[in-house]
Amino acid sequence: MAVLSRMDWYDIARTTNWTPKHVTEDELFPQELSGSFDIRMEQWENYDEPYKQTYNEYVKVQREKDAGAYSVKAALERSKMFETADPGWLSVMKSHYGAIPRAEYSASTAEARMARFGKAPGMRNMATLGMMDEIRHGQIQLFFPHEHCPKDRQFDWAHKAYGTNEWAIIAARHMFDDMMTTRSAVGVALMLTFAFETGFTNMQFLGLAADAAEAGDWTFSNLISSIQTDESRHAQIGAPLVSVLVANGKKAEAQKMVDIGIWRAWKLFSVLTGPVMDYYTPLEHRKQSFKEFMQEWIVTQFERSLLDLGLDTPWYWNQLLEEIDSQHHGMHLGVWYWRPTVWWNPAAGVSPEEREWLEEKYPGWNATWGKNWDVITENLLAGKRELTYPETLPVVCNMCQLPINQTPGPAWKVRDYPLVYKDRTYHFCSEGCKWCFEEEPERYAGHLSLVDRFLAGMIQPMNLEGALKYMELAPGEIGDDAHGYAWVEKFRSAYTKNTA
Amino acid sequence: MALFPLVSNFQEDFVLQLLAVDSENTMNEVAAAAAHHSVGRRVAARPGHIMRIRRQGSDKPFPCEMKLQDTGLKPMECIEVVWEAL
Repeated sequence: MAVLSRMDWYDIARTTNWTPKHVTEDELFPQELSGSFDIRMEQWENYDEPYKQTYNEYVKVQREKDAGAYSVKAALERSKMFETADPGWLSVMKSHYGAIPRAEYSASTAEARMARFGKAPGMRNMATLGMMDEIRHGQIQLFFPHEHCPKDRQFDWAHKAYGTNEWAIIAARHMFDDMMTTRSAVGVALMLTFAFETGFTNMQFLGLAADAAEAGDWTFSNLISSIQTDESRHAQIGAPLVSVLVANGKKAEAQKMVDIGIWRAWKLFSVLTGPVMDYYTPLEHRKQSFKEFMQEWIVTQFERSLLDLGLDTPWYWNQLLEEIDSQHHGMHLGVWYWRPTVWWNPAAGVSPEEREWLEEKYPGWNATWGKNWDVITENLLAGKRELTYPETLPVVCNMCQLPINQTPGPAWKVRDYPLVYKDRTYHFCSEGCKWCFEEEPERYAGHLSLVDRFLAGMIQPMNLEGALKYMELAPGEIGDDAHGYAWVEKFRSAYTKNTA
Repeated sequence: MALFPLVSNFQEDFVLQLLAVDSENTMNEVAAAAAHHSVGRRVAARPGHIMRIRRQGSDKPFPCEMKLQDTGLKPMECIEVVWEAL
């Protein structure tokens, strides 16, 4: 029997909107869940997804993808990658696995909301496949690290992290819950698929895949490349939606959601991806600096797609461009200094040759973050490791939930961006985070940051021991310097000469 | 006597930190408490200088012996701790 080609029947099969008779349209697609801005039903049928795939094709392709990723894993299980990999690379894997898989699983519910409550039939089709993508990403990224659990308890955080009150996870959950689990179908499409996935997941998945291949970790490289092929498909749910919204006079509404999504994604990536690309990945395996990657993927490519779709660059664009030069250096220094509070071992990444690389990629690094690292390095050389551990909490932002930090040294730019709302003072790291709050204050006002919880007496005893207990970081899980401070010895001869 | 949390922004450090002090503490004592979490940890000591406390955004530091409760600062307000040459 002759089979029609996909494009001969796809449009007809896609036309699945109907006129409800037993309920009203608003009951079928409640505003809270659809978020459809009162755009008429027939207008939604103009939504035209750029990536058309049928269910049969999807199953066939996904099966092949899984077979490929699992085969590579099986073939390399007896390799000595775990034993021979640079400890900094193992930390990349641990931080990624803790922060990502269960967020992916949560994303499947966001995709499901679009699959059910999206008013555009094409969106519902794509989101159905996207929902299955995200279930796959959750499962495969929990299964792969599991083989390492008997060797290293920190890998257990692949599953454990997302359910704890560890500070980095509070930050990740706050952002993902904001854009995935508590938004309408339109909100999810704009904030998750368009802003976060089109804009930023390339950073985590393409960038890390390249670094993983360079580091000889073929299993991880193959896994995340496999995931990225799904992301690059379902990320395209958002763009045609922007076109529908702009065509129906809802540009301002679309712009606001996209702007919030981009800003929030940027902050999370500055702590999650920036440090691993510029500090944890062994120097000889780095393909591009985080800044170069951001400039290629966000500044050049994503900015162009924003403009092509009829949106503007966000109002904070110049601020973001400044931050890609600086923000992740402070995030890294903070994670390393407060290293007992994370589930991986941060690689300092500040040996003499690494500092040379940082100065080349980020001119002025030695005169800013380098000044803080000078004091840390001297303390380690002098045997005063206790001074390289914290005795208080960093103040975290009430939006991104990350330590409020900016450029140190003589250029000192650190400041608080406070806001009083209903008699409570909120602290923000930037105009961008403060703006997100001001746009929808009631959405965020009830949340307590880690510091708010500490001051409310929810963390007992009120010291590092109490904080670790609150974050569920057990002995054997808490972070320490990835290389056991070996990098410090490269400064020893100069230090001995100076102190002689 | 009452616990008085502040946000410490120490000159040339990179991060805001929680600072637990007392309403009876003088500005010199607050500065010393802030220094404990920054100086000799990530900020080099500066011989020949003292530390002054000012409200974020202000050019004028509080008098060194002024008590915290008399400054008008609110709990969790951000203070800047800056060096001043002797």
